[in-house]
Amino acid sequence: MEKTVDARGLACPEPVILTKKALEQERGLVVLVDNDTAVENIRRLASKTGCAIAVTGEADGSFRIRLTRSAATPPHEGTDIGISCKTAGPKQTASPLVIVLSSDRLGRGNEELGEVLMRSFVHTLLTLEERPARIILYNTGVRLATRESPVLDDLRQLVEAGTELLVCGTCVNYFEIKGELGAGKISNMYDIVGAMAGAGRLIIP
Amino acid sequence: MNGGGPWEVALFVSVNHALRAEKILKGEGIDTKLIPVPRQISTECGVCLRFPPSVRSRLEAALAGKIGIVAICPL
Repeated sequence: MEKTVDARGLACPEPVILTKKALEQERGLVVLVDNDTAVENIRRLASKTGCAIAVTGEADGSFRIRLTRSAATPPHEGTDIGISCKTAGPKQTASPLVIVLSSDRLGRGNEELGEVLMRSFVHTLLTLEERPARIILYNTGVRLATRESPVLDDLRQLVEAGTELLVCGTCVNYFEIKGELGAGKISNMYDIVGAMAGAGRLIIP
Repeated sequence: MNGGGPWEVALFVSVNHALRAEKILKGEGIDTKLIPVPRQISTECGVCLRFPPSVRSRLEAALAGKIGIVAICPL
């Protein structure tokens, strides 16, 4: 009778850790998990430890994974088993979030209010669980990346966290503010259109 | 102005009050940051001023008699 590890409902990296522990004792094993991340982590574990793996999708959306360690392969001793609890960072997300800021103010109408709203908007992007993969600045939006910009700190923090900040070169040239930029990389319409076309979700507030 | 904190926020009766307070404080050399009022404090769409607790007394003194602070809360 093969041992069964029921890892459904457990948060990453529990399923793969339990699987690794069980494989140290058993040659054959069935693991039940309920998400793709756990399946991928266990696949990597199997590959690193030389186990045969067979994954079957169950009717309830969970997965049954059968692992068999070959007789010649000793139990894996190392700790490097390639666990990844996030399927991707902002840049590798299957449906990347792209935000276009085409003005230094949010919305049309009152200018002072538009500036306040933009400050709030950019600051709030930092609280998103999934940060934007890219932020594109064009027209007066490029002013947001200058050293005088009230949102520069927040943009820098987004860039540090992995967001790519594309600043329209034509616009920077037009406003003659190249020397004033404090964040982002000068970009062109090819990159901008490419980023828009590759977006899973495109927000133009 | 985006270091780790801790932070406190000053709440005002209106967006205009918050903006005026920000200008006054900037003039006094007190660095604050205008941010949306945190969800746990109010569900209304508003803005408040975030600052490190170390400048609280200077901030209150600078606004005294000019702009009323509704509340100061930890962030």
